[in-house]
Amino acid sequence: MSSHAAPATIDHHHDPSTSTGIPNKKLLMWTFLASDCMFFAALISTHLIYRLHPPAGGLDPKVIFSPELTSFSTFILLMSSLMMALAVTAIQKGNVKSCRWSLLTTIFFGMIFLGCQVYEFDHFVHDKKMTLSNSMLGTTFYTLTGTHGCHVALGVLWLCLMYVRSFKVASDASWFGKQLLHTVTLLVALLLSLKVTLGLVHGLQVEPTIGAGIAHFFGHEFIYIALALVAYGALAFYFAKPAGPVQFNETNAIDVESMGLYWHFVDIVWIVIFTAVYLLEYL
Amino acid sequence: MSASPAHAAAGHADHAHHDEGSKFQIYVQIAMLLAVITGVEIVAVYLPFAKWILVTSLVVLSVVKFMFVIFYFMHLRWDKPFCTILFFIGLVLASGTMWALLAIFGAEASTPPPVG
Repeated sequence: MSSHAAPATIDHHHDPSTSTGIPNKKLLMWTFLASDCMFFAALISTHLIYRLHPPAGGLDPKVIFSPELTSFSTFILLMSSLMMALAVTAIQKGNVKSCRWSLLTTIFFGMIFLGCQVYEFDHFVHDKKMTLSNSMLGTTFYTLTGTHGCHVALGVLWLCLMYVRSFKVASDASWFGKQLLHTVTLLVALLLSLKVTLGLVHGLQVEPTIGAGIAHFFGHEFIYIALALVAYGALAFYFAKPAGPVQFNETNAIDVESMGLYWHFVDIVWIVIFTAVYLLEYL
Repeated sequence: MSASPAHAAAGHADHAHHDEGSKFQIYVQIAMLLAVITGVEIVAVYLPFAKWILVTSLVVLSVVKFMFVIFYFMHLRWDKPFCTILFFIGLVLASGTMWALLAIFGAEASTPPPVG
């Protein structure tokens, strides 16, 4: 499971082989992020414009929004950025094991954020009666935060692919099938975890006592809990034990760093959304 | 008097180890700072100050968080300045678009007429 550290002379911030001195992957990612800034600026502006002139009789965001939940998910996303930065630092030093753990933690925080968003949307639609089409607030809010959520989901998928890639054995001829199965198992485990967690929250909400809520949870989610445990067992005891030295090492730092740039961008977009969409409503 | 290759290698390893440790500390300190700023933002909206003071404070705090993430977590501080210029081109265009749209549609004349 060990990896061979590349020579310590790799300069991770400059690439003399390119005309700009910047690694091409990094340049591509910065260009994409610059364009994505304008995309989110358009969505945030649209939301703010309609908030400046709310239609008469429209929904009141102060009654609908939950500052506690949003603050929690903001904190989670900030911590995921920390773990992503640590993953980049680890792979730049050739520490594959530490990089894997940091990537896994980032995936975990990303899934918590997505779980909060799924819960929030479900709560808004079913309890607060705010849908995508019944109010201007709903239309602009779901379009903006939903687009951001899609970015987070794509980021989690990218993190999963990078995590699985870190187990690729150099001499294995059947690597594609194993990597595909590893990816599918990881994604299934994450989705089952999300479903089970939301099931626990639902059980605790619909039942009058904690005991009844937990009983409700196990009654409805038992099969999914069992499947999630099987998936995590396969990930821990089969897929996480490569048969030989892995290819992933310090030379892949630029791949992890490019992915990290995307993940941090998702975080900075949320920093703006948190203030512009949520906090300003409470003034 | 030049150092031997063994000493140079050991020195490089020490430097790398020190660099790794210092970056870890910087990242953790910045993450804690970002968490504290977020907490301050949440508390600020409930304070009985004038609206313009609170809006300005929230915008400034968000910009501070934004800059810490892009310059430290996204490594702009250590990368070539061209990366910063490239990203700020997109950022300035995005901010300009937002400002223009909000100025146009925020004007009194843009208020939609009452329905019916």
